Amino acid sequence: MAVEQDREAVTKGTIQFIEAIRERVGQVVVGQEVVVERLLIALFTGGHVLLQGVPGIAKTLLASALSRAIDLDFSRVQFTIDLLPADILGSEILDQRVNEFKVKKGPIFTNLLLADEINRAAPKVQGALLEAMQERKVTIGGETFTLPAPFLVIATQNPIEQAGTFELPEAQLDRFMLCHRLDYPSPSQEKEILRRNASLGVRRSDRGAIAQTEFDIIDHEPVGSSEQLIQAMEAVHHVHVSETFIDHVVAIINRTRSHPNIELGASPRAGIALIKASRARALIQGRDYVVPDDLFALAEDAILHRIRLNYEALADGLSGVQVLQSLLNDLGALVD
Amino acid sequence: MLGAAISPSLSLLLWVTILGSARGDDQREVEVGMNARIDQIVIPGPELEVIPHDDRSRPIVLRITATYPHGTNHRYDLVYSGLEPGEYDLTDYLRRKDGSAHEELPEIAVKVTAVLPQDRVRPNVLTSSESPSVGGYQTLVIVGSLLWLLGLVAILLIGRRRKLESEVTVDRPVTLADRLRPIVEEAIRGSLARERQAELERLLLTYWRRRLDLESTPAADAIQTLRQHPEAGELLRQLENWLHRPEPIGEVDVGALLAPYREATSDAGEVVPAS
Repeated sequence: MAVEQDREAVTKGTIQFIEAIRERVGQVVVGQEVVVERLLIALFTGGHVLLQGVPGIAKTLLASALSRAIDLDFSRVQFTIDLLPADILGSEILDQRVNEFKVKKGPIFTNLLLADEINRAAPKVQGALLEAMQERKVTIGGETFTLPAPFLVIATQNPIEQAGTFELPEAQLDRFMLCHRLDYPSPSQEKEILRRNASLGVRRSDRGAIAQTEFDIIDHEPVGSSEQLIQAMEAVHHVHVSETFIDHVVAIINRTRSHPNIELGASPRAGIALIKASRARALIQGRDYVVPDDLFALAEDAILHRIRLNYEALADGLSGVQVLQSLLNDLGALVD
Repeated sequence: MLGAAISPSLSLLLWVTILGSARGDDQREVEVGMNARIDQIVIPGPELEVIPHDDRSRPIVLRITATYPHGTNHRYDLVYSGLEPGEYDLTDYLRRKDGSAHEELPEIAVKVTAVLPQDRVRPNVLTSSESPSVGGYQTLVIVGSLLWLLGLVAILLIGRRRKLESEVTVDRPVTLADRLRPIVEEAIRGSLARERQAELERLLLTYWRRRLDLESTPAADAIQTLRQHPEAGELLRQLENWLHRPEPIGEVDVGALLAPYREATSDAGEVVPAS
């Protein structure tokens, strides 16, 4: 009984923590509540997120605001064609004073890493990052270093410009727990963005002044501690997953493997990601159990980047979203 | 010296050659249908011409290919062919160009001979013979007709059997209601296996999505709309309590909850697609 009361208290505290984070991020970023929810899901479950969207929709601002809200270290790496694995992971540098090699850790040694335009880097760089994401360890000069906890990678990918990019293969995409497709803000949200931007002033610096940006108004005082984050991660593990829910997940995953329009179905990792993410979403929504709503809300983000349409579907002009939605729509009517 | 001796010899040879070629052909006998020439024949008197043909009954066809003045006379190159065997005088086929009489002309006798024997006037008569028999045309027609009929009957029978087989599978399409009713009955009786609870929930979700025409709405949005519906929303909350909560709030009366779906009908023509 006492354990249950403690758990309830923790859950209430976690919900307040989540609300505070959302409120803090909302002070800087207009709209994008769903993206914030997906980032929190990834943070609470130790997954990584791939954001697909055109430039200029506050992806970096969002990651920066989130990291500041929870007192997390934040790094941003702009991926380019000439980037090397050592530029991210770190390397050994000769210290001439003592004539010894010393390890210089790369930007990956952080809590929250924004890998901007990940598809612009060469496959060996992508591979190095994705391996580190999976193992949460980095080896530099024969010495293995554990990455800080929590460790969340938010990678971005521009779906429009494909020239000079290296598309992430399915096996690499599978390492991202969620792949969320960002959309433009609604007209009312866009008006609010413009209004807020217009109200930004000028910041004095040295003997001159700099026009303020949204990054300047991010409050550096965190609203949550890493301890609260750990509690939230633990609370996710206490969210109940019914057998019925697991049956739903298995039905969806299996259906992707036998669907006539899908060449490559979802991996078991997709099912794991779906259940983990559903638990975190349930917690964010204030529930201690998952429901089909979580499944349907997260199916696109957890499954779509793990499936590949076949030639016939592409020739018919079908998109992955259309095929997945038809699969979800028909789920109840299909004979198992 | 030598040149002086050779030159009269060469001149003589040249004259002989010219005279030989000037003399030309003088074919007075020819076979039926073949052309023959009489060149450089001198005929006294004014110039002659061939009497034009106006019918096909004349046995000789004559042409003057060249005429040369020869003093007060003329020299001619003649070409002729005979259509009928016999002896003919070519002057019978000539006349003066100026229209004067030419009775004094010397005879130009020619002979047209036949290749075939005298009594042969027609080609050989064709002889008919019977073609080799391979069973007889009549037998072939009968056998062919029988085979054709057998083929037709076979095609009709196979087609009918296939049609009947396909009718068996397509005749009774399973509808959503067909699948929902027995599973609801099992749930009401309390005999629904745990493994089929998920199927029941999915069927009920699909049932309501079709009933509220939410099939083209994204699944996440559709379920939110269902939650707002008084009847569907209550069903979802009760199912959630029954199937997903770790400890259901109160007792879930499955019988009362699912009773409306015992007689579920095909509201949206919901034929279940083959998996």
